[in-house]
Amino acid sequence: MALNGDEEDFEWEPPTEAEMKVIQARRERQDKISKLMGDYLLKGFKMLGDCCEACGTILLQDRQQKNYCVSCQELDSDIDKDNPALNPQAALSQVRERQLAAQVPAAAPELNGGPTSSQAGVSVPQPRPEHCEGAAAGGRALLPPPVVASPPPTASTTTLAPIRPPVCPQNSTLRPVLEEAEEAVLTKLRWATAQLQSSASLEASIQLCSLISSCANSLRNLKELSQ
Amino acid sequence: KMVPLEQLHLSHVLQAVSALESIVLRSFGPEGGQVLFTRDTGQVMVSRSGKRILTALHLDHPLARMVVRCVWKHSTITGDGSKTFVLLLASLLRIIHATATKDPHMFQPHNSTEASEAATARHLADRLLEFALTELDKLIVLNVLPHGFRVSLENFTAKTQHDLSCQTLLVSFFRTRLGYAYCDFFRNLFCELLSHWKVKDDRPSFSMQFLNNSFLALHTQVSGVPVSCSRLIEGQVIHRDFATPCPQVRKQPLKGDVLELRCGDKVTEDRGIVHFSSWTEKSVESIIATLQSFGVSVLLCALKQSSAVLAAATQAGMCLVECVSEEEISLFTQLSGVTPISDCRRIHPEHIATLTFCKPLLLGAHRRISSIVIYCTTFCLVICAPSEGQADQHACAFQDAFRMLLTALEPVRKTQTALEETIPSKKCTSLHADNKCVTETGCVISAGGTFEFLLHHALHQYGHSCSVSVNLLEKALLSVPRQIYSHNLKHFLQAQTRVVALIPKQPHALSANFIHTEGPLGDGKLLDLGLESVSCKYQLVLAVLQCLTNLLRINMVLRTHAVLHTESHDSLNAHSESSEGEDED
Repeated sequence: MALNGDEEDFEWEPPTEAEMKVIQARRERQDKISKLMGDYLLKGFKMLGDCCEACGTILLQDRQQKNYCVSCQELDSDIDKDNPALNPQAALSQVRERQLAAQVPAAAPELNGGPTSSQAGVSVPQPRPEHCEGAAAGGRALLPPPVVASPPPTASTTTLAPIRPPVCPQNSTLRPVLEEAEEAVLTKLRWATAQLQSSASLEASIQLCSLISSCANSLRNLKELSQ
Repeated sequence: KMVPLEQLHLSHVLQAVSALESIVLRSFGPEGGQVLFTRDTGQVMVSRSGKRILTALHLDHPLARMVVRCVWKHSTITGDGSKTFVLLLASLLRIIHATATKDPHMFQPHNSTEASEAATARHLADRLLEFALTELDKLIVLNVLPHGFRVSLENFTAKTQHDLSCQTLLVSFFRTRLGYAYCDFFRNLFCELLSHWKVKDDRPSFSMQFLNNSFLALHTQVSGVPVSCSRLIEGQVIHRDFATPCPQVRKQPLKGDVLELRCGDKVTEDRGIVHFSSWTEKSVESIIATLQSFGVSVLLCALKQSSAVLAAATQAGMCLVECVSEEEISLFTQLSGVTPISDCRRIHPEHIATLTFCKPLLLGAHRRISSIVIYCTTFCLVICAPSEGQADQHACAFQDAFRMLLTALEPVRKTQTALEETIPSKKCTSLHADNKCVTETGCVISAGGTFEFLLHHALHQYGHSCSVSVNLLEKALLSVPRQIYSHNLKHFLQAQTRVVALIPKQPHALSANFIHTEGPLGDGKLLDLGLESVSCKYQLVLAVLQCLTNLLRINMVLRTHAVLHTESHDSLNAHSESSEGEDED
């Protein structure tokens, strides 16, 4: 970290979403540590004046004079592998989970997206596409570069039939898959355009427009991928 | 493994205080729970008092101990607010930590990040304290007091609608400590006790101070009896039984005497054991004879007496109580005006008091004590509860009520002079003419975060031209009502809007009657959570800021192998109500 900052004028930029997530996760971790320490103190443990060498947390001592570090022995063993702040694999799995959750009700808007359906039928919650896009953006930011190939096409599959990208894509098998994906997206785009022209309800039109934009995004990504 | 010298980082401080905060939060607010303490002996105690909970923890960490000591000292003076103290301290630390880590080079550049963070934090805290010591009381007077009600001891026992502030304050206090069941009962008991003691003095706060100081001697805890049996007893209760058999009832006025009998002191010549014992016997006989000649029937002794003395007293028909505690003796001497005898050879009339009656008392199933009444009527408090721990809890709450009321009756300092310039015509009838600002008028405000909302708003409007440190206090203040309404965020927003709506749009639109002497502000909903004292809150904020600056001034921790001084250790332990010493370390 450059420390000769008295001459230079640092331009402070707001932290990106990824950094926000990390800060948030760290804060939650500290809160958890405090709560656990409080629990143990109320159970009769003694708060020592020493800190753990590994993580710097304050040590506790039980009645049998045994030292205990809350974060090393309790938190990290359970959640280290699940904490997106500390583990990139965990971040990837979190993104995947979100997409999976988004894909399940994705079948419903396809059926209800017709213009003749009543207002009550359009019960799909509005922010669904944006939410998934946001998750995808976060996922894109958190994931280390080598795995970046797989998320982009999956991000836009919210309104498509579920298409699972191969986990370790090889170039030879990649091309036909991409072509299939492009075709599917184009089909959906055409269908959505047709629906939009004949749509009479405001909600449905908005949804169709967002569908079209996400289709366009997917196409762009697919084209990038194939290059 | 143990490093002799250790650099203290901001995150360490924050972690220690956060751990304390997480403990205290469980009992905070109207929905907070109680903590159950158990000992290895099987004794059980229940408490919601922050001071009790924090002093019962085993803490070896020097910063945590420091914070607990600050809390304890603050609670000894104001009687309340220990949990709020820790909460406010933790949120201030958190905000300072965030600000310092975001911009460590705010004030001046340092070589290492941690040193610069620590220096920034220290600067912020110092500026905050400076601001609080100079400007905060003015802000409070202008922005918070107009929304409160006046409280003074003159209208203490009045039953009219308008003078309910003091009583409501007490009820709210007892409710936070003892729950909904007994708050009204204890309020009545408290008022009864005060009214009995008030007739003696012109200055009611003096009698309250006296009651606070001698509370240990003035109350008796009885377990195994329902709470509603708590009452006032006429006379001073001595917590020892008679050592000599005593005839049951004596109608005629008695004479009592206080003796510090130390039979061994006066040996000047060493004449061997036989001579010594005969000498002491003779001296005891002569002493008893002298006392008898004065007509003394009751002897109170501070020490344990030998069997010779007991036998002589029995023969002479005197009642003797031995091992009377120091507080009770001092109370007795204060009330009756006699001095204790230190030299047995010189017994004069000024050592002898006249009592009205003296009889043994049986309180509860186990306590057999004697009760003595001296010529000016006194009243003692008997606190009953099903278990010892609960009786202790009630007694502590009672004593803290004295302290809280004493603090509540103080005006927010330096305000009277400031305000006299702006508002010449005042209706404060209790303002005395002497220089020592003896007004005995305090201000109370509705509880539930009103003080914090109002002060937050005031700081917000004030702080435009001021340093970033005022913004920190402003943000930290909101954490208190946020925790009060933590179970329902909607209530927090509702409360905030309600309070902010009360603030007049023009900053100086104050009526001449600057403190409302009338009842609620029209919106009765604000008083649901009771009342709290503005002066207590002001003291709390000051105390928190001082503790904060002290904490952040620490740079390094030096470890020693020998105990340097145990003063803090003793004061923390000695003031736990139980007499057994718990080993904290």
